[in-house]
Amino acid sequence: MSRNDAPAAAHGAAPASRERRWGDPLGRPGDVWCVFLQARKRDPHVYVGDVHAPDAEMALVLAKESYARRDPCVNLWVVRLDQIYATPPGAAEIFEPATDKRYRFGGSYREQQKVYRSGWRLSHREEDQ
Amino acid sequence: MPGALVAIADPAVRGAFREWLLRTADDELILGHRHSEWTGVGPDIESDVAMSSIAQEEMGHARVFYEQIASDEGGDVDRIAYGRAPTEYRHAVLLERENAGWEYSIVRLSLYELFEAGRLRLLAACGREPVAPLARAIGREERYHRLFAETWLRRLAGAPEGRSRVQATLEAAWPEALGLFEETPADELLRREGLLGETQAEQRESWEAALREILTDAGLAVPQPPARGAGAGQGGRRGVHTPEFERLLGQMTEVWRSDSEAKW
Repeated sequence: MSRNDAPAAAHGAAPASRERRWGDPLGRPGDVWCVFLQARKRDPHVYVGDVHAPDAEMALVLAKESYARRDPCVNLWVVRLDQIYATPPGAAEIFEPATDKRYRFGGSYREQQKVYRSGWRLSHREEDQ
Repeated sequence: MPGALVAIADPAVRGAFREWLLRTADDELILGHRHSEWTGVGPDIESDVAMSSIAQEEMGHARVFYEQIASDEGGDVDRIAYGRAPTEYRHAVLLERENAGWEYSIVRLSLYELFEAGRLRLLAACGREPVAPLARAIGREERYHRLFAETWLRRLAGAPEGRSRVQATLEAAWPEALGLFEETPADELLRREGLLGETQAEQRESWEAALREILTDAGLAVPQPPARGAGAGQGGRRGVHTPEFERLLGQMTEVWRSDSEAKW
């Protein structure tokens, strides 16, 4: 997504000369709700997509058939998209390590592996496979 | 797996219970077909998907009850579902009506699902395997149908213009909604034999009480009983249907009739 069609534009975009602030809302119209699905008890809620709805109750009712009619689900969350705040798209490189940081991975400890793998966050990280 | 009918020794009671299963299945099949007509033209894509999904589930429930009949009498489920004359269908007239706008479909779904919840509770308590556990399982799925209908109903009636349109739709549908509770000799017999815990009149009473809460919550009023004769909106349970049903049946069975022996 380029700076110009960034969703926050509708809410008054930052001047073009300046890097967008951290903490800008994702924006978009207030009738878009993000749906988070929990597949099994104790699993984290995972973002699966959006629904249009006038309020939270309708968003949950519609999300059930849009996202939970095939795959397992025990619980849904909906959050209004304009209530989610994001790092700016241009900031991705700030998350990339500049030096070797393997010392932070707890992959060799069995208990820690269990903890790590209980969350989806690190399940795709090569070091933990 | 044998169905519930074979275990009933008295042929009159067996016939009455078959009538009940058939009526339940026909209600679900015909309303399911009407709801499937919203696929692709719903008011928004999310509700379109949800209504289509509800339609599929209603047809799935119909299959469960047709299977109960088929497993005791032989014959296949499709033939029971599609191969009868219009006068052999036992659904209420309300359910065969064309979708006269989204508000009509939502009002009808709200009225019907509340009725269906009561009927499934009765079947769940009928003490007959495997109908009772099946009714309990289906009841779980119908809970969402009610939630969807009532969530939409409250939104449609949320402002004055919508509220008066929904109220008018409700008034117009009312006599046929009461037709859901049309009594036949089968009801009386099953009540007497203890298979069903309530008469149609008792079912209607608890339905109206629960409906009153839902409607009041939405700013709507329960319509007055029809002034002209209690017979309006009845007949479905005895096989008396409207031309709208004949058109529905023609369309619904078109593929099956083109080769009724085909295996899919």
